[in-house]
Amino acid sequence: MSACSNQDLWVVVAAYNEARAIRGVVAAVRQAGFNILVVDDGSIDETGRIAQLAGAMVIQHPINLGQGAALQTGIDVALLAGAKFIVTFDADGQHRAGEIARLIDVLSTSRADFALGSRFLGRAVGIPPARRMLLRAATVFTRLTTGLDVSDAHNGFRAMSRRGAQSIRLRQNRMAHASELLEQIARSGRKYVEVPVTIDYSRYSKEKGQRSGDLLFILLDLFVGKLHR
Amino acid sequence: MIAQFFLSALLTLVLIYAWSQYRRSQVIAMLSTGAAAAALYLVWMPSHATFLAERVGIGRGVDLIIYTWVVISLLMFINLHIRLRGQMEVITKLAREIAIMKAFPPAKPLSGHDKKSGQDDEQSDHQPG
Repeated sequence: MSACSNQDLWVVVAAYNEARAIRGVVAAVRQAGFNILVVDDGSIDETGRIAQLAGAMVIQHPINLGQGAALQTGIDVALLAGAKFIVTFDADGQHRAGEIARLIDVLSTSRADFALGSRFLGRAVGIPPARRMLLRAATVFTRLTTGLDVSDAHNGFRAMSRRGAQSIRLRQNRMAHASELLEQIARSGRKYVEVPVTIDYSRYSKEKGQRSGDLLFILLDLFVGKLHR
Repeated sequence: MIAQFFLSALLTLVLIYAWSQYRRSQVIAMLSTGAAAAALYLVWMPSHATFLAERVGIGRGVDLIIYTWVVISLLMFINLHIRLRGQMEVITKLAREIAIMKAFPPAKPLSGHDKKSGQDDEQSDHQPG
């Protein structure tokens, strides 16, 4: 990571009822030497307190708004804190903190504004076949609707420059934010690169992750989002 | 005739409502206006309703009017969903502002890292959760 000091980089984690996993995630990111901001999205468990004690800055939504809303809050706060680079990172332990530096390196050397993690260029350890098919379908949909040549559409592990982050304004509060973010990247015309990353599927992360039925709600949210000014 | 006046009054309300929603969603407003205007026409021209119904394979004119009403109801439902979504955006902004005002700095700051906002310093003794 030659282009920036670790203090210029904020890792944003949206967390909802992640008391079981958040300590490990915060510890791993801190061990890698980065600032971490956990947006506790109205959890009813001890997520926020555990994250703070583990060394994260914590922002707490007073009510549960959804992952998209939490990420936008995190991005806003990181920008206010002067971040030059922002990384979004999952709270369920699926991502590897050791890969953050590589994401930023690629972002810097390619002079792109977005580095999108791709489990299909990298590795998806323990991914269930049904989830793989669902993600492939989502990727085809994203390619058709945004024109972006991406290999992984719903990967929460991504990095963005300050300029890139400023061009993002997520209005999809829930799971449709991942597609919305790619739409906004396409619309902004800013450069993006894909970076191979590893996603570790544990029993816990599979319980917390998206389900096939969520696809319908994501499509509905995207459709209604188009009708709404 | 009573039914025609009654339905006309309701459809006129739908038309007024559709126009009032034009700023919020042009697509829904235009579709609702079209459906309500078509229904109004069919209510007062039942023979045309029957003719049209036969042409599109529905059979009875009254069924065509009922189906048009179903379409209008669906559009109203979508419009309500859009309004709820708008309100959710306002709530989101409000919740975000509150959350940012009450930011909790880490219990163990990174070594050499002392960049905190004034708000953070002010709230540093707060405990989340």
